[in-house]
Parts: sequence; structure tokens; C-alpha cells
Amino acid sequence: MTTAYRRKILRDLWRERTRTALVVLAIALGIAAFSGVLSAYAILTRELNRGYLATNPASATLFVDRLDDALVRALAEQPGIGEVEGRRSLRGRIKAGPGEWRNLQLFVVRDYADVRISRLTPQRGAWPPATGEMLVERDALQVVNARIGQEVKVRTPGGVERTLRVSGTVADVGQAQARMEQVVYGYVTLATLAELGEEPYLDQLKLLVAGDRMDEAHVRGVVEDVRRFVEARGGSVRRVDVPKPGQHPHADLMGLLLLLMASFGFFALALSGVLVVNLLTALVASQVRQIGVMKAIGGSDGRIAGLYLAQALVLGGAAFVVAVPAGLWGGRVLSHYLSVFLNFDIASFAVPAWVFVLSALVGLVVPVLAAARPVLRGVAVCVREALADNEVRSPGFGVSAFDRALAGVRGSSRPLLLSVRNSFRRRTRLVLTIATLATAGVFFMSALNVQTSLVRTIDRLLAARKSDLSVTLAQMVPLAQVERAIRRTQGVKGYEGWIVTEASPHAGGADRDRFTVVGLPADSRMLAPEIVKGRWLRPGDTRALVANDRLASRLAGFEPGAEVTLAMGPAQVSWQVVGIAREPFSPSVAYVPLAFFESQGHGGTTNSLRLTLDDAAAAAMPAAKERLDASLDAFGVRALTSSSRYDGRRGFDEHLLMIYVFLLVMSLVLGAVGGLGLMTTMSLNVLERRREMGVLRAIGASPFLVWRIVVVEGAAIGLMSGLLATLLAWPLSRGLGDLLVTLMFRTRLDFVFEPLGVLSWLAISITLGVVASFVPAWHASRHPVREALAHE
Amino acid sequence: MSHPQAASPGESLISLRKVSKSYTTPAGTWPALREVDLELAAGELVAVTGRSGSGKSTLLNLIAGIDRPSSGDVVVAGARVHEMPERALSPWRGRTVGVVFQFFQLLPTLTVAENVMLPMDFCDVLAARERRPRALELLARVGIADQADKLPAQLSGGQQQRAAIARALANDPRIVVADEPTGNLDSETAAVVMDLLCSLSDRGTTVIVATHERELAGIDRRVELVDGAAIR
Repeated sequence: MTTAYRRKILRDLWRERTRTALVVLAIALGIAAFSGVLSAYAILTRELNRGYLATNPASATLFVDRLDDALVRALAEQPGIGEVEGRRSLRGRIKAGPGEWRNLQLFVVRDYADVRISRLTPQRGAWPPATGEMLVERDALQVVNARIGQEVKVRTPGGVERTLRVSGTVADVGQAQARMEQVVYGYVTLATLAELGEEPYLDQLKLLVAGDRMDEAHVRGVVEDVRRFVEARGGSVRRVDVPKPGQHPHADLMGLLLLLMASFGFFALALSGVLVVNLLTALVASQVRQIGVMKAIGGSDGRIAGLYLAQALVLGGAAFVVAVPAGLWGGRVLSHYLSVFLNFDIASFAVPAWVFVLSALVGLVVPVLAAARPVLRGVAVCVREALADNEVRSPGFGVSAFDRALAGVRGSSRPLLLSVRNSFRRRTRLVLTIATLATAGVFFMSALNVQTSLVRTIDRLLAARKSDLSVTLAQMVPLAQVERAIRRTQGVKGYEGWIVTEASPHAGGADRDRFTVVGLPADSRMLAPEIVKGRWLRPGDTRALVANDRLASRLAGFEPGAEVTLAMGPAQVSWQVVGIAREPFSPSVAYVPLAFFESQGHGGTTNSLRLTLDDAAAAAMPAAKERLDASLDAFGVRALTSSSRYDGRRGFDEHLLMIYVFLLVMSLVLGAVGGLGLMTTMSLNVLERRREMGVLRAIGASPFLVWRIVVVEGAAIGLMSGLLATLLAWPLSRGLGDLLVTLMFRTRLDFVFEPLGVLSWLAISITLGVVASFVPAWHASRHPVREALAHE
Repeated sequence: MSHPQAASPGESLISLRKVSKSYTTPAGTWPALREVDLELAAGELVAVTGRSGSGKSTLLNLIAGIDRPSSGDVVVAGARVHEMPERALSPWRGRTVGVVFQFFQLLPTLTVAENVMLPMDFCDVLAARERRPRALELLARVGIADQADKLPAQLSGGQQQRAAIARALANDPRIVVADEPTGNLDSETAAVVMDLLCSLSDRGTTVIVATHERELAGIDRRVELVDGAAIR
């Protein structure tokens, strides 16, 4: 590249420095969004695997009756076993001070000094916990609302209530965030377990296989060997869990979320290309005579096009330099946010080189691609036409039928007509600007629509659940016993006793396909789900099954009319699928009539209660739970967990927060790109019409009036983009919401169009129009009249 | 409509005393006008002639308040234009001076009638309902009433310049300045435009026309500029 060639590139951009800066800023926003998400993806996938694998996550967990040390030692000697360790986990409840009882998942570890599988990392306070003390998972401390050193009440499945001291916190990377699950994870020793009135034994075998731990088939083979070994020694295996090897339970969700974010980051970058189109179209148009001169002195189309495309490259390069620090910072913030969400620590925020290379590549290529069409069209002008006078060359406004139609729109204010009609003069530019801004509007409205739709969807889901309180019992108990307790409980309006168990589609099934089976009265008053196919349970049904949509989408064959055989405990049971119930955001569940359990000899028993209360307000729930617990205790019924409808709602809200945040952040980024686009457009419009501004001043317009004409034009463009966004928002936000929710939760939304979003975005887009045109308008009004009139 | 402060014919309406104007360019300071003294009376039709770069446009710009002198006094219709603040100049110009440009400079997105009504909007000289009839009357005066609702791009050059003259007369100014008003027109159309400008001075409007042409019919005076100095 010759010096003259290089200087022209740089000086042209410098001459247009304000607009150049705006375009660089917009591209930088796109690159920052793209590189930020990309670096977060690189950090999180690396750190999640590293952090998770560093804990030595179990290859498999076998749930047995009772472990003895000899069995564990013997297993450790078996071929194929890398490490083996006994554990236990119990469900219970926990309460700090006068607070509400919370569900507790209590983990029992034999020797905290020798944890080799699914390691825990001490965070604050004491380590290991002494007898009478409990460690709490770091995120769970806020769920129970306790602090280190505080005494908390713990109620075991056996109904014993004891006081334990919270001695410290640990990080347990394998657990989902406690806030989302609304569960408190606690860690105690066997001695503490004995103090809690439970027999001090372990019942889980955590295995780390020798050989290839990442090979699931190998892991399953070893697990089968272990099962046979345990059973050969007289033990029994109730259940086996084999997680995806080496993969954090939430890794898929996180990958998906980041992929979506990266796609939208790239989208923001592509939109910033619109600004490049506008800037270079205007630049080439303003330099038509220069292009003619360059051609006249021997410049080829290719050489001249290269000149302007190089400017696009410079814009991309400058934007990359500006964007990288912002992208790195954004990637760091996003990584941190998601690591808290997924409950793991990030040891290093180092960003690998491929992120920089890919961001640079995309950041440089997008502006050049965007510039290609206007530049190639611009330089294709013939020399004679290029060297002609501007007035001769440009046919101007009024030639097309559209212009004439627009002139037919009358009004009493000529300055207002001028503003509105002026906005239509550069129609390609107008369309690109409006489209960019409207895209941001669609995202903004989508954020509100998706939020409202999610709320509506969850409302409908919870409305189908008629009970105010759900109680899980520690064991099967006679219903009559429960009835006596409930009759003594003040404020209970109605109740039902259900049986909740598990099933698997595979014989001997003990893996990830396991799902919940709920036995309930066929004429239940506590559940009225939305049936999307077939029918709900009817009195007289015995082997009828209604699958929820999650189960039906996960496992093949769950269609109305089909017969399915499920492994339920040791038995294989055949069922007639009669319907599919819609239960968004729910785990897989099959509903069967209680009559089945009665036919199997479990008549008149229950392990799960559903209750309606006289006072169903959130504030009344803790007291209602207390009263019910006391009554059940008095009749020897042990409640394991209890959840109000509000507890369920809180969990949903925590899960869905990230969707709102994601959509809002995207609309902010796109809004900023759109705003910069509008500012560039207004700046170009004013530049190209500088002489007209001079004419206006010459025939009596005050500087303020000129300013107002430009600002109203900006507001008109903002209004048009707002209206376009409104038109597009209904179908697009519905599609976007469904896409997000389908990908993340495998369900669909009950779509609601939020009118507040339309009004808000109209106000925002008009304000953006005013703000974006403020400075160009100010410049237009301050420009000396003589210079404006002399402007070419 | 008559001038609200009509001066008697012969009475000085425009007075320039020792007016100089220099422009600073990358090549140095360039004097556009040098100590020009000029008195123009109400109703005069004055031609300002000279070569390209002789200072004709600068002189017109100073009279119209579009530019300010580097030194000297510019008094137009009793107003000391060189001392007026910028914000006061636009409304003053809108009421006092009509401006006609070489390339017409009609606003392309407004119809011809709307272009003529625009200065009335700016200066509020008439009630809103009176503005369109006034615009149509002016367009009829310049012979293009039938083009009132067309966009400028649909008009010929001569028609556009006539529309520009109608716009310059919108607020019935006492002075009309026209910078090369026929420079972009064929000779026949140019003659029609010049006739129009002559007829304005017949009605008491002071008309100052900057032109390359040395021989113009119907003018009262000719001011010739050479290198920024008035030689007569």
C-alpha cells in the first residue's frame, strides 16, 4: 500500500471523525458482546470441568441397605475400582431462630480428613465439623438465613428435633445452587447423626472407577460388577445413579445458554455492520467527484474499491482494540455470574488465544462485508457522471411516486412536514436505521413479554395445583392416622393422602431415566392439570396412567392408547397411557390412580399429603406448617419435608431470573447499537443537508427552529422504529420466548403480549431519537449561515 | 400587502461605511471586500457586478446579515446589522430581506406553496389561515400558481427560480438580494426572471442583484467590484 493511498484512507476517516467514532463505538459494542460471551464460554467450560473434576466426582452411587466397613474395604480391593467411599444422605428440616422451617438435605461423611470422592472444599469457619456441629453449603446459608456460630434446629426423618451449631461453610460443587432448589445442604459426622437420634450407619457407596472414567459403558460395567459383589455378600442394591461421566449436572444448560448468548452477540455485531453501510454509503456518495478524478487519472475500480474497503477494515480494527478490554471485562462478569448460578469457583479468568483470534476475525470481516455492496456500487459510477455538477448528478427528492405521495400528506406546520418528509429522503439509510433500532425494541419487548408469559405459564401451572401445602412423610403410614392428626389441626380446610414413588422404563432400572409416579384419587380435588392429549384419570381406573409432557417428550411410547411397562421396585407393572398433562417447568411425572396401590395391598396408606388451608396467605404458611407438624408428631407421623405453593414459586423465579437478565442485557446492547446507528444517521443527514440548513436560516428560521426541525426528524425516526418493533414484537417475541424455554426447559409458554412493553419502547425509541439527534441538531443550528450556504 | 415602514423613494435604506471583510484560509488571509462605502435608496434596483471572486456574494451576504464584516458598519433598514446578535438576525432577515439563490435552493421535501409559506411560519407575519392564500397570490404574481402543489423536482429551472422569488417575497420584505439569480438559466428564462425582479423595485422593494453580466436592462444603478473594492 502506497503512502498516498494509506494517507487518504486515514485522512478521510479523520475528516469524518465524529461519525467514525460513532461507528467504531457501535462495532466495538458488537465485538465486545461477541468476545465477552466467547471468553465466558471459554472460561466457564474450562473451569467448570476443571473445578468439577477436581472434586473427584463419583462415577456412580449405589444405594444399599447398610454398609459395613468390611464391605467397603473388600470392594476397594476389587479390580475396576479406583476409590470407594461410604456416605449417607437424609432429608429433614432445618430452622434458624424464629424463621420458617426449610427443607434440609443432610449429608453424612465418615471421615472429613479423608474425603476422596466428591470432595468438599472448606470455605469459612471450622473444618471438620465436631460432634453437635454442622457445616452448611455456602449458598445455603442464606436459604436458612443463619450465620456461622449460630445454633439451628434440625428435625430428622425420625421426627427427632435437635439443636446443632453451624460451624462453617463448604463448597459442594456437585450440588445445584441452594437458592434455586430452596434446599439447605448440611454436612455432619456419624457421631452427630447418632445425636440426632438416627442410627449411625452409611448406606451409599460412592465409586470412582479405575481405567477410563469418562467411558460411561465402562462405568456401567464396573457398577454391575459391584452390584453382583454386594448382592453375593448378602446385601441389596436399591438404586444406582450413574451421572454423565466428567460432566457437571448443569453443564448442558450452561453450554446452551452460552451458545444462545454468543449467537445474539454475533447478531449485535452484524447489526453494527448497518452503521458501516450507512457511513461508507455516505462517504462514497460525498466523494463521487473524487472517485471520478481518481478514475480519470488511472485508478481502477478494484483499486478505488480497495481504498474504501480498507477504511472498513480500519473501522473494524479500531473497534476491536476498543472492544477487547470491554469484552474481557464482560466475559469476566458473565463468568462470575454463571459460576455463582452453577455453584462452582473459577480459579483462573485467563482467556485463551483462540477467543482473541476469532473475535478479531469476525470484527474485521463483518465491517468489510457490510461495506462491500455500497462501495462496489459507489465506485461503479462512470467518470463523466462522477465529474458532473452535484445538482445535475443528483435527481433529488420528488422524482419517485413515493415522494409525490408523501408530498400529498398535508399539515398546518411546514417545519413539522419538513422534519417528517426529510426522514424519508435517504430511504435505504432510513430502513437500515429503523430496522436496527426496531431489533432492539423487539428484544426489549420480548424481555417483558417473555417475563409476563413465564409468570402466566407458572401461574397456570400452580393454579392446576389446588393445594396450599405439600408434605412428604418419612414413610408409608395409615391414612386414618394422618386423618386424626389433621382433624386436630386448626385451619386445614381439606386434604388428600397420595402415594409418591419412583419408576423406570427399564427392568432393574436404576439410572437417569427414573421418574416420579404419583398415585392420587382419580377424582382428586388437589390437582386438575391441563390435559393436552387424551383424558385425565377417572374413577374406576386402575392401570390408567397420565404422563406429564416432560415425561412424554423424554421417553418414547408415552402416547394415549399405548401400553407401557414400568419397573416399580422389584415389580414390572403394565399401564395403559390415557392422557398427557401439560406441566411446564416440571420434572417427569406419571399420575396413576390410587386404586392401583389399593389393589397391591397398600390401601389406606399414604406417604405424601396435599392440604388446602383456610388462610392461604404467604404470611400464614410458617404457622400452618408448625401446627401441622405438631399434630402429625402427636400422632406419630413423621413429616420429612413440607413446601407451600410460595416455596415452589420462589424456586421458579430464581430459575427464570437468568432469562430475564439475558434478554434485558441483549436489548441494552442492541439499543446502544441502534442508538449509535440513529446518531450516525442524523449526523449524516445533517451533514448532507447543511446547505439547506443555511437556506432555512437565510429565509428567517432561528437557530432554535433549525435545531427543532432536526430533533423532530430524529423523534419521527424513533417513532417509526417503535411502531415497526411493535408490529414485529408479537410474532418474534413469541418465537424467541418459545425458543429459549423449549431449549432450556423443554416446554412452551402461555404467551402474553405486554402492552406496557409497547408504551415503554415507544417512549424509549422516541427519546433515543431525540437524544441521538440532539448533538447533530445543535451543530446544524450553530453552523454559520454563510458557510452552510457554501457547503457542497 | 405594503411595507410596514416603507421608506420614501430616494431615502437611504442600506448604508455601508468602510466595510471590509477578510477570510482566513490555510493559504493565509484573503480580503474579500476592502473598505466599501455604499448607500442604496429604497426602491432601487441595483446590479452588483464583477468577476468571480470579486466580492459580490460577500457584499450581498453582509447586507442580508448572512455574514459579518471584519470592520466597518452595515446599517440596513435602520438596523445596525453588524452589531446584531446571531439569534436576532434570522427573524430580522425573515421580515426584512428576501434572499434568492443561484441554484434556487427550494427545500425539496416541501411543495412549491409550502416553500413559500415557510418564511411566514418562521416569522409569524400572518395568521395561519392567511398564509396559503398569500402564497398562492405570490405564485400567481410570478406566473406559476398552477405549480403550487408540486414538489420542486417536478418544476423546470425557470419555474423553480420564480418559486424562489415568490418565497423571497413571502413576508413582503423591503429588500430582496439575489445572488446570480439567472446564472443557471437559459437566456429567455433569465429575461423573465429579471423582469420579475424589476417589477419588484417598481413596487418599492429595493432589489440588489449580483451578476456576472455587465449589461442589464432596467437597472437603476450598477456597483462594480474589482478585487473587493467598489470602483463605482
